[in-house]
Amino acid sequence: MPDSKKISAPELVNNFGTHHPINQMKDTIMDLLLHLGFEIIEGPEIETEKFNFDMLNIKKSHPARQMHDTFYVNKKTHLLRTHTSPVQIRGMLKNKPPLAFISGGKVYRKDDDATHLPMFHQIEGIYVDKDVSFANLKGLIFEIIESLFGENTEIRFRPSYFPFTEPSAEVDILSEKGKWLEILGCGIINPIVLENCKIDSTIYSGLAFGLGVERIAMLKYGVNDIREFYKSNLDFLSQFK
Amino acid sequence: MKVAYKHLLNKILSKPSIEEISEKLLQLGHEHEIENNIFDIEFTPNRGDCLSIKGILRDLSLFYEIDTNNEKYEHQIDTFELDFENKAKDACPEITFLKIELEDTKITNYQGSLKDYFDDLNNNKINFFTDISNYISYETGQPTHCYDARKINNKITLENISGNFSFETLQDKKIDLYGRNLVFKCDGEIINLAGIIGNKNTSCSSLTDSVIVECAYFNPEEIIGKSVKYDINSEAAYKFERNVDQKCHIDVLNRFLKITSDHSKIRKVEIFTKCYKNYENIIIPLNINEISNKIGIKLSSKDSINYLEKLGFLISNKNLLVPSYRTDIKNQNDLSEEIARAIGYDNLPTKKTNIANKFSKIVKNNFEYKIKSLLIDNGFNEVINNPFVEKSNNESIKVDNPLDSNRTYMRTTLKDSLINNLLYNERRQKDSVKLFEISDVYSSSKTISSKKVLGIIASGRVGKNYENFSKKIDHKYLTSILKIYLKQENLSCDKIDRNSLDTKLKTQISYLELELNNIDQSIVEYKERSKPPKSIKKYKPVSDFPSSIRDLSFSITDYSKSQILEELILNYNHELLKEVYIFDFYVNNKSHEIKVGYRFIFQSDKKTIIDSEVEFVINDIISKALDIQSITLPGLLK
Repeated sequence: MPDSKKISAPELVNNFGTHHPINQMKDTIMDLLLHLGFEIIEGPEIETEKFNFDMLNIKKSHPARQMHDTFYVNKKTHLLRTHTSPVQIRGMLKNKPPLAFISGGKVYRKDDDATHLPMFHQIEGIYVDKDVSFANLKGLIFEIIESLFGENTEIRFRPSYFPFTEPSAEVDILSEKGKWLEILGCGIINPIVLENCKIDSTIYSGLAFGLGVERIAMLKYGVNDIREFYKSNLDFLSQFK
Repeated sequence: MKVAYKHLLNKILSKPSIEEISEKLLQLGHEHEIENNIFDIEFTPNRGDCLSIKGILRDLSLFYEIDTNNEKYEHQIDTFELDFENKAKDACPEITFLKIELEDTKITNYQGSLKDYFDDLNNNKINFFTDISNYISYETGQPTHCYDARKINNKITLENISGNFSFETLQDKKIDLYGRNLVFKCDGEIINLAGIIGNKNTSCSSLTDSVIVECAYFNPEEIIGKSVKYDINSEAAYKFERNVDQKCHIDVLNRFLKITSDHSKIRKVEIFTKCYKNYENIIIPLNINEISNKIGIKLSSKDSINYLEKLGFLISNKNLLVPSYRTDIKNQNDLSEEIARAIGYDNLPTKKTNIANKFSKIVKNNFEYKIKSLLIDNGFNEVINNPFVEKSNNESIKVDNPLDSNRTYMRTTLKDSLINNLLYNERRQKDSVKLFEISDVYSSSKTISSKKVLGIIASGRVGKNYENFSKKIDHKYLTSILKIYLKQENLSCDKIDRNSLDTKLKTQISYLELELNNIDQSIVEYKERSKPPKSIKKYKPVSDFPSSIRDLSFSITDYSKSQILEELILNYNHELLKEVYIFDFYVNNKSHEIKVGYRFIFQSDKKTIIDSEVEFVINDIISKALDIQSITLPGLLK
């Protein structure tokens, strides 16, 4: 006869759900930046041209302002922010330097294919103080990328163009397959932008950087099609527990 | 922009390899790909000056000695009075027309650089004058437009027009102009959408022996967006939008004439030029110390001046005269970038930035994170949806330029998105779907307002373990999870009517949406049980083939064998077996028997699985299980 004392019920498996992988990646990067000393600030996703473009030195003639690149809403009185930079503008207007802010969230551009979505996530950071130089920017970017991708990651800086930074750079890392992959954009904050935010550019300078969360998540998780993140497929999501 | 390596090499005295030029272009910020010795370069929007052989060579002159001599047309060019009126001087402050008459239009073969342009880049020829115009744009960066002079019989005007007009391009495309447009007109007809494309009626052909070449500077703001607005592929517009050199007209037209004269005898040539507003030189004080501070490196004056002079800047009395093609250079930061590019960003020093020492540590607000954790601990999966929906209500914000008609409005609730997510997973044979989303939603009455909301949707089984398998999700289940953290006691939960949805399932769909403001701050004290993974796991592509389910219920009379069976089944590996869990466990002390039910889910990554493949695995599991003493499978046919 069996001994009833020996009955042990099977372990009751906890069917935990999961944080969305994009939010997991966003939180990881935000935590890293918090650790480096940045403060989090937030701002609206529906913005005005003033904060999304004008204050950032993006001229009326810039292609990004066109209807084919930017979603305009409410009879063109507003737009869906195309980057998280307007949050930084609001932060600089409210605070006096030295300041170090990060903002992360959804941004919108009029794209829809296997590598671009109309909505994606961005994290941006700014640091404004006396004597902030491109050398500081490089030091910080090395620190961020090495924390995310490992100390032996090969990194290269390429000149680029963003109206709100000058000099501007794009940063690539060398993949395991020997291909250079663009990871983030950065630069020295254009003095015009500092002056727009009532910061004396003869005393203060600043650095700024921005990275696409989906791009980093795709690299880290090995996801090739950005659309996978937004199908809400439980077979996909459950892999990120 | 596609540029042949050979065309650059013709002008670089040291004849570097294609790999070396590639490296230098990258150092300068000109990202590109190379195929069959052709560079396909993507210039940043501020570098319209680089959109030509001449422009690229100007940048490469930082590293190489460049042959800047181009053969010129040496003969006298008379002036003439063209009947032209510029009614849009702000849009076009400078314009030149060149009238050329040929002795002969029978031009059989192209020679020299014109020939190379078509041969090396595999470009299509159109007609003699248009071909030269296209080549000149490639060589100098300045677009020109050619009118057949015999088709221009009256006064030409340049003006901004408003309203609706028909226009047929020289590429035979009929477009309806609307809104405000800058156009050239003649005899009341629009003969050219300025800076973008000419019309068909005045265009050149292979018979054209008399041409009027228009060479203009257009304010980029007048051109921007027009080619997209009318779906016209226009290289001229691409260049004008990015700014061209206002001071280049005479040199450009001289090259036009030289190429023309290399191929045909010119009977007569005349020039008409008008400047309505002089180009204003950009002069910047050169402050090496400030530039050094911005880059973070001690620069020598000699080196800095050397770099800038190679790029075409003139230095006089500590002031810099910016070349007319570099309208993007305005201040010390711009000069810093020029010098940094010359040195190479990767060759610049790095310096540690001690931000953390200057600011007090701010603790991250984890209110939202705790709400998520509570739901994740209860088996809910976080989803993210885009905010565009088809349906609207009185408060919906309309997107002025939606991607398509299904995405015309901003959502005011997360409900529709989450219903779609739930149905998607049900169609993938999921019998327990528990999802949530946290997002801002926006509405507009008098002003645009936003609120952060939590949407939760669930249907099917409460969970995939033997305690929850037979329990069905309903609104009580949903509200019970959040109840103790709610500011208000009554929490309304919607029961979604399946009749209005594209589904045949009958299980109840429960939906709950509330503003995050309605959740009590005490949730911050919630101790989460689940944690996001500490290390990154590489994702495995999801199979889109249907799955197949089998259940087995075993009877165990020797209780000690229960764990042996569990270890056998839960550790059983087969490439088709995707998931296995215990859905039933019952101890009958009267009959001294344990009943345990296992659910097996099979799925292939490569094809639709067939019954015999599933049975093969199931039979192996049964065989191994029945080898364990006291274990039977009631109902099994032997």
